[in-house]
Amino acid sequence: MKTISTVLASLLAALSFGAFAQTDPALAKLKPKGFPDQPIEYTVVYPAGGGMDLTARILAKFVEKASGDKVLVNNRAGGAGMVGHSYLATQAKPDGYTVGILASNFWGDAILRAPGKWSLADVESIAYINSDALAWVAGTEGPFKGKTAKEILQAAKDKPGTVRAAVVPGSMWEYLLDQLEAQTGAKFLRVPFQGGKPGIVALIGGNVDVAQGFYGEFESYLQAKQLVPIAVASAERVFNMKDVPTFNEIFGAKQFVWNIMRFAVVPKGTPADRKAYLSAMIQTALQNPEMMAEFRRLGAYSDASFAKSTNIAADIQAAAMKERDFYIQTGRLKP
Amino acid sequence: MDAINGLMMGFSVLFTAENLYFCLLGSIVGTLVGVLPGIGPLAALALLLPVTFQLSAVAGLGMLAAIFYGAMYGGSTTSILVNIPGEAASVVTALDGHAMAKQGRAGAALGMAAISSFVAGTLSLVALTFFSPLLASVALKFGPPENFALMVLGLVCTLYMIGGSTLKGVLMIALGFLGAIVGMDIVNGQDRFTLGTVNLSAGIEILSVVIGLYGVSEILMNCETIVKNQMLAEKIKGLWPTFADWKASWKPMMRGSFLGFFLGLVPGGGPVTASFVSYTLERRIAKDPERFGKGAIEGVAGPEAANNAAVSGGMIPLFTLGIPGNAVTALLLGALVMQGVQPGPMFITQRPDLFWGVVASLYVGNVFLLLLNLPLVGLWVQCLRIPYRVLFPLILLLSIVGTYSANKNIFDLWVMIGFGIVGYVLRKLQYEFSPFLIAFVLAPMLEQSLRQSMVMSPDGLMIFAHRPIAAVLIVGSLILAALVFLKRKSKQPHGDL
Repeated sequence: MKTISTVLASLLAALSFGAFAQTDPALAKLKPKGFPDQPIEYTVVYPAGGGMDLTARILAKFVEKASGDKVLVNNRAGGAGMVGHSYLATQAKPDGYTVGILASNFWGDAILRAPGKWSLADVESIAYINSDALAWVAGTEGPFKGKTAKEILQAAKDKPGTVRAAVVPGSMWEYLLDQLEAQTGAKFLRVPFQGGKPGIVALIGGNVDVAQGFYGEFESYLQAKQLVPIAVASAERVFNMKDVPTFNEIFGAKQFVWNIMRFAVVPKGTPADRKAYLSAMIQTALQNPEMMAEFRRLGAYSDASFAKSTNIAADIQAAAMKERDFYIQTGRLKP
Repeated sequence: MDAINGLMMGFSVLFTAENLYFCLLGSIVGTLVGVLPGIGPLAALALLLPVTFQLSAVAGLGMLAAIFYGAMYGGSTTSILVNIPGEAASVVTALDGHAMAKQGRAGAALGMAAISSFVAGTLSLVALTFFSPLLASVALKFGPPENFALMVLGLVCTLYMIGGSTLKGVLMIALGFLGAIVGMDIVNGQDRFTLGTVNLSAGIEILSVVIGLYGVSEILMNCETIVKNQMLAEKIKGLWPTFADWKASWKPMMRGSFLGFFLGLVPGGGPVTASFVSYTLERRIAKDPERFGKGAIEGVAGPEAANNAAVSGGMIPLFTLGIPGNAVTALLLGALVMQGVQPGPMFITQRPDLFWGVVASLYVGNVFLLLLNLPLVGLWVQCLRIPYRVLFPLILLLSIVGTYSANKNIFDLWVMIGFGIVGYVLRKLQYEFSPFLIAFVLAPMLEQSLRQSMVMSPDGLMIFAHRPIAAVLIVGSLILAALVFLKRKSKQPHGDL
């Protein structure tokens, strides 16, 4: 019955437009004495207005509603996220007032770019938030109109280096293509872009043949029938693309899983009671169907294996280690 | 007509006390952040973004858009008065605007800047109202090769910015390129010249460069002369543009509006490029180009019109394609998404109330800004009476706060101070910064689009010949470049570069 009361409390809080905060009773029990006595800062390592920033702001809004505490979102952008990642790992005070709202590309920075300065162990994961799967999209006009992912891969094998694919260098865009090329023997012409959206726009403009991106990035073009998702790099099919097969289904494989997973961390050494409270704040907000609806509207889904986890820190660590193995296998990291 | 009906609906959505209040509030905040050096529209929008979540979509978006416009209006003020541009888009305004101020005509320059901004803002809104869906397809036609050609054209325009020695000017362009190389390589993701620090892995922060080069170094220069401070205000010659000013300005204003709108529309453009290209154009077609840099009002009217028109132009790909052209429109996109709207091809059909409501708020915001800015001209001119020893520490303080607030990274402040010192030395040696800055702004896009084109092209450079838009732009650039060098050569027969 706890969940129902939580839902009701959140609903009430939502209906009141935040005029008075309806504190969640279960959450109040966990509240450490005298904490927080100032606003809690959610650090986002990308500029305001992007997907990561919106996720953090929605989360902050509902955490405030559930807890009655003040939460601020602070953007520490720069170095493609590296500046903020380094800040959280090395400079932020472990006093419970700094929480990092991160995406799984934090691991790439920690494993490939940070060695010698800091590592994964410098932060502790406290909650899973949501995920966005990387999908392949093709145009509704041009030579690959109506083609399946397998057919496009075949074309890239028959005529190596002629099928143009949008990639974001040094990221999962590239890793997924690496895996697909290794699996099928295809060879793509990789056109580099800085982010998923510019690549998708290039697809609409006929400058590339295949683009890769997240649902939220191409939803409006999908509605306008300017592109179609043809395969998705998630473990299971995603709610908003029910009829789009996963790469794993297509190849009967397991390794084609590339998604942005969003989670919260605190700097290492944050007191246990504060850590537990910060974690519970997010967990409570995640129970709110209204917030989940806002996340779904951004295209994000909740990955059951993480959402139902009983030891989230260990599960997130395991996911990071899996990515580390990939870096070693592909020679990106010397073991 | 659909557009007329739509706009009518927009105004009926807009005219509530709440919406108009937030539109006015945005205009005031925007003007303020534009005037204050260092605090650009981006910092203000990021701060106010969470506020809009509590508002209706039209009120929230209307307020944010008004801040963006307002910053373009206000940005020219410090350029003209104290030669310190509030942000990159008003760098060119300082060239002739400040020269006018020195001649006691600050009022005319400020007035013309506000009027040009209004005219261009309104004209381009009319274009946005009637041609949005049509123009969206133009933006899509600009793939990597077209963007590259556009960047080349922009770069050639910087040659016209060079006032003194050609050699020094070209050197500054080269330095601008070098500065822009710092940071992560866009193709293979490797760090370049980052000196092992993560602070440089996304490149040198442009805001720090502008504030340092223009703001800090200007203040350092003035420290030398502060004792013999001649207050400009002693020779103010009237607050308003004269009839002759109007006559000289209306054509540049129209050309600036058109140019700015188009450059705002295409992905590689934006307010900064628009202002530079407009200045170049005016200087190129003027009968007596020597006046430029010495207080030609055309040099204020054209660029100020262009940067405001570019803001409206940039709204089209934002609304109809969901493509943000720069960091500020990216924030507006975020605000729309938070309101439950995915801007894109279906935006106008799915949420006509919201689209037209926002468009209507842009019209109203422009009127508010004009009404706000014209009476302020007198007030700003009075600011010149503030002794520099009071004014400059204040500006320096604001510059530091503004630069820090953008990323909350202390490193950016060191960069700002470093560029301030570099700027001081370069001023002493009579180097101009404008070619440096425009090269610095254009280089990343130039490099990216060139490398994308080369990857896409089966036959190397021929890709620029096969694509008509790119070919026309490249040929145009070559002709312009040839003209520049021929003219300079004929003027300097002794080879004194």
